[in-house]
Amino acid sequence: MKVQELMTTPVEFIAPTKSLKQAARKMKELNVGYLPIVEDGKLLGTITDRDITCYAVAIGRSPDETEVQRCMTRDLATCFEDQDISEAARIMEELHIRRLPILHHDNTLAGILTVDDLARGSHDLAGAVLEAAIPIH
Amino acid sequence: MKTQDIMTSHVETITPTESTKDAAVKMRNLHIGALLVVDAGQLVGIITDRDICCKVIATGRDAVMTQVKEVMITDVTTCFDDQDITDAAKIMAERHVRRVPILHHDNSLAGLLSIDDLARTSHDLAGTVLEANRPIH
Repeated sequence: MKVQELMTTPVEFIAPTKSLKQAARKMKELNVGYLPIVEDGKLLGTITDRDITCYAVAIGRSPDETEVQRCMTRDLATCFEDQDISEAARIMEELHIRRLPILHHDNTLAGILTVDDLARGSHDLAGAVLEAAIPIH
Repeated sequence: MKTQDIMTSHVETITPTESTKDAAVKMRNLHIGALLVVDAGQLVGIITDRDICCKVIATGRDAVMTQVKEVMITDVTTCFDDQDITDAAKIMAERHVRRVPILHHDNSLAGLLSIDDLARTSHDLAGTVLEANRPIH
């Protein structure tokens, strides 16, 4: 099975110069915990609800004045939409992550593959990713 | 297999009147995404990094002035320490949650069972819970 059969698309994203507060509002409105950061069609990084809480609140940065690019994750693993889900799962497992941005072959963003999406294709692949993931406690 | 066989028994807690900033600092330092809220030995709620992002930052509240009890989830789904893990997984799937606090029969806190703990024992049980979940991308 290919990644594009399970991934979530279309995908919501945010510009790098938006504030952490704007990102938090978008996550709340869309009921998501993760946003890709895109500029000129190119994926620059990702940000999670946890990143915002840990950066803005725990360190005490202003959510209104801090841009998302200040606390986004930059060194992203990605997969192409036509790769097999087992390859995507292996990447997630090795890197201890639960979500993977998916690209078209021109490197524009095609979607997001989450461990939840993976579970719809294979409980076993999703279970292996969870087992390897950084604990959520 | 019982929940107590696979749960995490060392759980991190916070009191309802501490600030959401204190909660965020604790989550950051301990590398965890949720704290159980305990008052006089009794579980009264649960607070996650997502709650702080969506209910404090997104709405423009001050994390120092906002108490944990104002944004915690009070309708907490729990299980007992001697319940079977398939029961616990069924409850997690039905209630769309990824973590359940585990109680002793005197209602004191025994631990926390997460979907990651389930995955270490059964990929299939964890996959079933994920599939039932409302997606958090």
